[in-house]
Amino acid sequence: MGFRRLRAAVLAAAIATLPVAPTLAQQRPLVWGDTLPATLDPHAIFDVPSQFVLLNVYDGLYRYQGNPPQLVPWLAESHTTSADGLTWDFTLREGIRFHDGSAMTADDVVYSFRRLLAMNRAPAAAFTPVLRAENVTATGPRTVRFVLSSPYAPFLSAIPLVAIVNQRALAPHVANNDWGATWLAANSAGSGAYRVDPANYQTRVSMDLARFPDHFMGWGHNQRPIEQVRARPVLETSTRVLALLRGEIDATDSYLPTDQVERVDRNARTRVARDESMRVFIIRMNNRKPPFDNRDARLCFAHAFNYQGFNEVILRGLVVRNGGPNPNNLWGNPPDLTPYAFNLETARQHCDRARAAGAPIGREIEIHIQSELEQTTQAAQMFQADLRRIGINLRIVPNTWANITSATARAESTPDMWIHWVSTYFVDPENWVGQMYDSQFHGTWKASAWYTNAEVDTLLRRARASLDRAEREQLYQQATRQIFADSPDIWVYNTLNLRGLTRRVEGYQFSPVGSGGEIRLMSLAN
Amino acid sequence: MARYVLRRLLLALPALFGLVILTFVLSRVIPGDPAATLAGDGATPAQIAELRAQYGLDRPILEQAVIHVRQVLTGDFGRSIFSGRPVAEEIAQRLPATLELTFAALFLATFLGIPLGLVAALNHNGPVDHLVRLLSVGGLAIASFWLAIMLQLVFSMDLDVLPLRGRVDVATGLPPRVTGFVLVDSLVAGRPDMFMDALRHLALPAITLSLPGLATIARFTRSGVLETLQKDFVLYARAAGYGRIRLAAIYVLRNAVTLVVTQVGLLFGALISGAVAVEAIFDWPGLGTYAVQAILSADYKALLAVTMVVGVVYAVVNVTVDVAQALIDPRVAEDAR
Repeated sequence: MGFRRLRAAVLAAAIATLPVAPTLAQQRPLVWGDTLPATLDPHAIFDVPSQFVLLNVYDGLYRYQGNPPQLVPWLAESHTTSADGLTWDFTLREGIRFHDGSAMTADDVVYSFRRLLAMNRAPAAAFTPVLRAENVTATGPRTVRFVLSSPYAPFLSAIPLVAIVNQRALAPHVANNDWGATWLAANSAGSGAYRVDPANYQTRVSMDLARFPDHFMGWGHNQRPIEQVRARPVLETSTRVLALLRGEIDATDSYLPTDQVERVDRNARTRVARDESMRVFIIRMNNRKPPFDNRDARLCFAHAFNYQGFNEVILRGLVVRNGGPNPNNLWGNPPDLTPYAFNLETARQHCDRARAAGAPIGREIEIHIQSELEQTTQAAQMFQADLRRIGINLRIVPNTWANITSATARAESTPDMWIHWVSTYFVDPENWVGQMYDSQFHGTWKASAWYTNAEVDTLLRRARASLDRAEREQLYQQATRQIFADSPDIWVYNTLNLRGLTRRVEGYQFSPVGSGGEIRLMSLAN
Repeated sequence: MARYVLRRLLLALPALFGLVILTFVLSRVIPGDPAATLAGDGATPAQIAELRAQYGLDRPILEQAVIHVRQVLTGDFGRSIFSGRPVAEEIAQRLPATLELTFAALFLATFLGIPLGLVAALNHNGPVDHLVRLLSVGGLAIASFWLAIMLQLVFSMDLDVLPLRGRVDVATGLPPRVTGFVLVDSLVAGRPDMFMDALRHLALPAITLSLPGLATIARFTRSGVLETLQKDFVLYARAAGYGRIRLAAIYVLRNAVTLVVTQVGLLFGALISGAVAVEAIFDWPGLGTYAVQAILSADYKALLAVTMVVGVVYAVVNVTVDVAQALIDPRVAEDAR
């Protein structure tokens, strides 16, 4: 008997005296180990974790499914658009019930959009420029009309962001004109495939879901739907992986570290779902701050990043090189774009030219990383080493998302450089190239390159206003070509979403919107 | 004695008031704009400005401080700007978890540390003494996050005998909430199976958290006992024919342990801060992880409340320790007069 086995036997004997919890006859619930949103109110927040609530507890008029994501009619059975692109009419399906059994009507849709606009939080940002609360009206018990103040092509793409809430369930909880926000932060008032058990809800700690048998889409698509879901975020990566391997959780988040992929795949009870997402990794440059106001300086940096080394070695080839602002797998990208390549000689030439033009290449450049996200550190460290070889001094500044994004409100406080991803909030080039490089968005974190090009502004605005998809495609391609030539940022890769799952989870279907968290499609093997 | 207790309590008040002011100042110098965090990923500058006004973040700092003090005095910690829920409610949900873990660790540290220190002192320079010394050096030197992961690997992964994370089994869930302490609530609910399950979940985090404390207590007990053994009264007691065990356990230990009790009070603070790392690794839904989330999201309301609550708990524990000390050694209360 080796020492390891001896040690194991002794310890096991010692601990066997502690009784073990009785095994349950029922099927063990699905334990979802991904992050929970800060609030359950679907109109108060819009980030990646909140999509889990949006997809499972609520429904929208339309929904994204599949990969690449397709917009499918959901609560609405259809819609029509006026020729000028201003009037949109949606018709609701029949027989939709909320969790309390009451019927959903056009009034609930109107209420939900008015609530969204009045609360004016993140998910409203896609609508406020073109939609006023009084311009959302019920034209019949099942028909809703939206009248936009100017044509806005991404309108339909943004429709899935908006959860339809039950105004009767909310009404008793409205206090101080807050639209029931305090109550809805920890409760639910939806029609989705699962309902929240408020008694066991704890912010960012636990959320229990039970299947809603009367969901309007029915359950014919799934013979063995999951009855009970326990969302239990695991904070630490190491614990998350161990908990999955041990079967304490059935799913990790979708950012499994690349060095853990092999380990999870090798285990007999777990696997890794790999799916190309729409989430672009970007190193930002503040185009208002010298030397980045000089195109050659920006090109110098763009050629000094070792894309292949980072993507293939550090991230073990589990990402896809993405040479422009839009994800590769989205429409609107020029087919002839050749991404910038790592070449220190070319970088040096650009830097020399920039220096000759008076750009302060020699000054210390700050790059801000998000301390809790390992990859941002890795990228910055690699970049620092390569830049040093061409005489550029890069200083790495640890920071947080909250802090950086508040700093990006003004050009002077925006860091020289910083690193982040742009995830899929809605599936339209507007989500990436549109909001990142139209100068009207300056002051938001997405537009933190402070890039200004009048020609690009015109192209992006025309693309936003046109309802002709072919024309929009053309315009986005043209704008992207121009932006690419100006090299305002460094675009690195498009994400492969890596989610660890136990093998008993079946029917997992990935979509970049919601990262595969739609539980109604899943079942559990015994 | 009653006067002594009252005096201790009164002394705690200015300390707490100082804490209110200090935390407020600190919360305003940490970087990050809570309004921007609250507004979310896609928010516009106008949305952020509106929120800033809504939460009073645009008012003069002095005015904000006065409002804050007034709110704290009435026990109103406001709404978390992160989750939109009342902070007091969120803390009430999480405080019992931290206290349960901390008290379990304190219990282990005290009731293992004192006997270990005593035994080591009685075997001065013997093999047991060396072993205890090794343990106490290790206990102080080993980083808790490392120990936590090692314990997980051995007891959960290798041996598969203890759960890896959380407070209870996810399938069974928590017992009906009465006190918030799972160990108590499961017994109130008449569910010994839940009690044992909770105990099994508590084991690894409590051991991890207790180790540095255990080491400190063992060392202090050891040196206290060694010192007391040199005192004249011990010599007389020995001469009077008292047995070794009786002498050590009653006369020596009582004299040696006052120092240790002071340490227990100080340790409690260290345990609460140590709980941050331990809670994160074991997914223990306590105040530590809550505070970390509050820092990362610049949720200053939550942060202020956590600091206050921990401050109050710490003050209460220290008063308790002072009283315990006075009970063990009446000279303490006499001296304080």
